[in-house]
Amino acid sequence: MYNTIAILFGNSGFDSLQGLTLEGSIASTSFGGRYRLLDFALSSMVNSGIRTVGLVTPRYYRSILDHLGGGKEWFLDRKAGGLAILPGAIHGLTSHKINFRMRDIEMNIDYLHKNYAENVLISRCNQVFNFNYADALEFHNKKKADITLIFKIPEKPTDRHGRIHLFLDEAQRVNEIKKEDSEELKVPYFINQLIIRRKVLSDIIHGYKSLETVDLIQPIAENIQALKVYGYPFSGYLQTIHTVQDYFERNMDLLDHEIREKLFWGSDRIHTKVRDNPPTKYGFEARVRNSLISSGCRIEGNVENSIISRCVLIEPGAQIRNSIIMQRCTIRAGTILEYVVMDKLTEVKAGNVLKGNRDNPLVMKKTAV
Amino acid sequence: MHKQKCIAMLLAGGQGSRLGPLTRNIAKPAVSFSGKYRIIDFSLSNCANSDINTVGVLTQYKPFLLNSYIAQGSAWDLDAPGGGVHILPPYVGENEGSWYKGTADAVSQNIEFVDSYNPAYVLIISGDHIYKMNYNKMLEFHKQKRAEITVSTLTVPWEEASRFGVMTCDDNAKIIRFAEKPAVPESNLASMGVYIFNWPMLKQALLEDSKDPQSDHDFGKNILPRQVKQGKRVFAYNFQGYWKDVGTIESYYQANMECLNMESSFDIFDARHNIYSNEDLLPPHYVGPTARIENSIVCNGCNVLGEVTNSILAQGVFVGEGVCIRDSILLPYAKVYDQTSVLKSIVGERAEIKERCLVGAEPGTGSEQEGITVIEDHHLIPKGSVIEAGQNIYRIR
Repeated sequence: MYNTIAILFGNSGFDSLQGLTLEGSIASTSFGGRYRLLDFALSSMVNSGIRTVGLVTPRYYRSILDHLGGGKEWFLDRKAGGLAILPGAIHGLTSHKINFRMRDIEMNIDYLHKNYAENVLISRCNQVFNFNYADALEFHNKKKADITLIFKIPEKPTDRHGRIHLFLDEAQRVNEIKKEDSEELKVPYFINQLIIRRKVLSDIIHGYKSLETVDLIQPIAENIQALKVYGYPFSGYLQTIHTVQDYFERNMDLLDHEIREKLFWGSDRIHTKVRDNPPTKYGFEARVRNSLISSGCRIEGNVENSIISRCVLIEPGAQIRNSIIMQRCTIRAGTILEYVVMDKLTEVKAGNVLKGNRDNPLVMKKTAV
Repeated sequence: MHKQKCIAMLLAGGQGSRLGPLTRNIAKPAVSFSGKYRIIDFSLSNCANSDINTVGVLTQYKPFLLNSYIAQGSAWDLDAPGGGVHILPPYVGENEGSWYKGTADAVSQNIEFVDSYNPAYVLIISGDHIYKMNYNKMLEFHKQKRAEITVSTLTVPWEEASRFGVMTCDDNAKIIRFAEKPAVPESNLASMGVYIFNWPMLKQALLEDSKDPQSDHDFGKNILPRQVKQGKRVFAYNFQGYWKDVGTIESYYQANMECLNMESSFDIFDARHNIYSNEDLLPPHYVGPTARIENSIVCNGCNVLGEVTNSILAQGVFVGEGVCIRDSILLPYAKVYDQTSVLKSIVGERAEIKERCLVGAEPGTGSEQEGITVIEDHHLIPKGSVIEAGQNIYRIR
C-alpha cells in the first residue's frame, strides 16, 4: 500500500459540541475512555498499510499535535513518508456543508507534488469506525478508477439529513451524486472517505483554483461523466458525530459487547497515544456496573452505565450514572452525576448534583464546577 | 560508539526455577507483575528515570518473549542516541564460547561490549527485583566516598538475613566483611544485588575471577567477598524504600498483593517516578451489569462479568458470569468461564479455566507454598475440575 498516501481533514467544525471542542477540535475530542476521535480514521489508514499521512490542522491544534507527537503510536515516525502537518487554510471559519475544502489542499499542494504515490486516500476525523482499505484500494486499481467513493447503505430510514447520495450502475460506477435527501431508503450514501488518483486530485485543485473554497465533492459531481468514479461499499459499524447527542449516544454504544468486538478486537486495532498509566485500582467501597473504565483511575464510588477516561478519581459515595467522564477529572464524595458529559481536568466538589437527560446531556466545560 | 559515563548491565539470564509453572516457558524478568507490568519494567524504568540510557541485558534462559518485549527499549525511552538497550546472549568468539556460568561470568564474557562504551562506572542490576530507585543518588555517594565498589543495601529483619548477602561496615560505611547467605549472619545489612563498580577495577576483578577454577563466577559469592578481603574501597549505600526480590511463588504473590495496599508497597500512582512498560494496545476494560469489583487492580482490555475481590487482573483477562475470583492474580489474557471459583491462585498467561471449576479448594494436610495454587500459562482446565490449594499445575504436552 506504499503507493497510497493519505490526507486526513482534522478541521471538521460543526456545532463545536456545546463548547467541548471550543479550545480543541472534534478530531482531538476524547472518545470511548482512552481514545481521541481522530484515532479511528488514522488507525484505519495505517492498518491499511499507509505510511504517509498529511493532517489538515484545525484552528486550535495544540491538543491534536500533543496527541499525535511524532506519530510513533501509529508507526508514522518514519524516514520515508510519515506524518505531515498541513496547516488548515481558513482559520476560524467553519461550515456544516464543507467536508473537504479544496483551499486546504491547495495551500499544501507541495505535499501532493513531492510524493510519487499513485493514490490519495481522503477522510475526516468525526467518525467512529474501523475499516481496512486494502480491498477498496485493490478495487480502485482493478477498475482503473480515477476516484472511488466509499459508501454505506442505510439500515434505518431515519437520520438522512444532509447526506450525499450516490447513484450507481451494476458495475458500481457512480452516475450521479446528489446532495438532496432521497426519499428512497436503500440509496447508498457517501461516508466522506474517498480514494483519488494523485494526478487527478492535482488537476482538479489546479482547474478549480478560483473556486477554492468549495468542497472537493463539487467538482467530482460536476465532472461525473468525464471522470471514472466508482463506489465501494463499507458494511461495518460506522457512526458520524455532529452533535452532543451523537457524541453521547456513540460513546454509550461502546457498552454493547458486539460493537466493542467490531471496533476494538479485530485483527486491526485502534491505535492511540500510550500514556503509561498504572492500572485502575478499585477500593473496598467501589460499585461499578455496565461501564467502560480506562487505566489509571482510582474508584471508590458508584458508577453505572458510564464511560470513564484515564486517571479519573472517584471518591466514596459519589454516584455517576449514564455519564461520560473525561481524563483527569476528580469526582468528590457524595456527588450525583446523571447524563453528564464532563470535560477533562474538571473537579466536582463534594455534594454537587448535576443532571441532564438522555436527549440533552449536560455538558460541563473544563474546570467549570 | 559514544563514551558513556555510566552504563548498566542488567542480569536477566536466571531461570527462576523457584517460580515453578510461571517460568517454565519464559524468563523470570518477563513474568507479568501487578497487572500491567513485567518484572524487568522496574529495573529498566529505574535506568530511564536515572538518566542511564545504555543498558546491556544479559539473557540466556528462554529469552524470546523477553527479547521481543524489550525490543529497542523505546517503551522505556531508552532508545537514545549513542546508547540504547542491547540484548547480550552468550556468543561464540574466535577461540570458543560458552553459556554464562554465573552472574560475573556473564559480564566477563561481555567485556568487549562494556569497553566499547569505555565507561567510568558500571552499574550491575538484576532483572527480577521490584523497587523504585534513583541510581544517580547512589552514584553520587560512590563518587563522594571515592569508592571502587558501592553495594546498595537495606536493613532486613534478622531472621531473614541469612537469605541475603550480608555485610559488616565500619563507621564510615566502608564494608569490612561480606558474607553471601551466611548460616549465622553477623549483620542484618543486606545486599540488594545492585552494585556500582569503577570499570577498570571491575574488569581486573573479572579477569582474575575467570581464571579461578574454584569460583562459581558469582558477584555475591565470589567477586565481592574477594574484593573486600583484598582491602578495596567497598562501601555500603543505604537505600530507603520498598524493595522486593520475587524469587519464589510466595514472595511473588506477596509482592503483587502488596500493590493493592499502597502503604505497604510503593505508590504505583506516583507519577514522579513512573514505571514504563511495553503494553499491548487494548481498549478500556468493561465491567458488566452483574459484576462486582472490590479492592482490586484491573487492566485494559479486561471483560469482567463476575465478582472480583482482593485480586489483580492483568490486561485482556475475561471473568465470566457467576465467577468468584478472590485473593488471586490473573496474568494477561487468562480466561475464567461462568460459575467457576478461583481462590488464592496465580493463573498463568492465556490459561483457561472452563465452567464450574473450583481452583484453590481447601487444602489437604501439608499443603505447599502457603496454599497458593499456580497454573501454568496456556493450560486449559476442563469443565467441573476441582484443584486443591497449594498445587502447581503444569501443562501436559
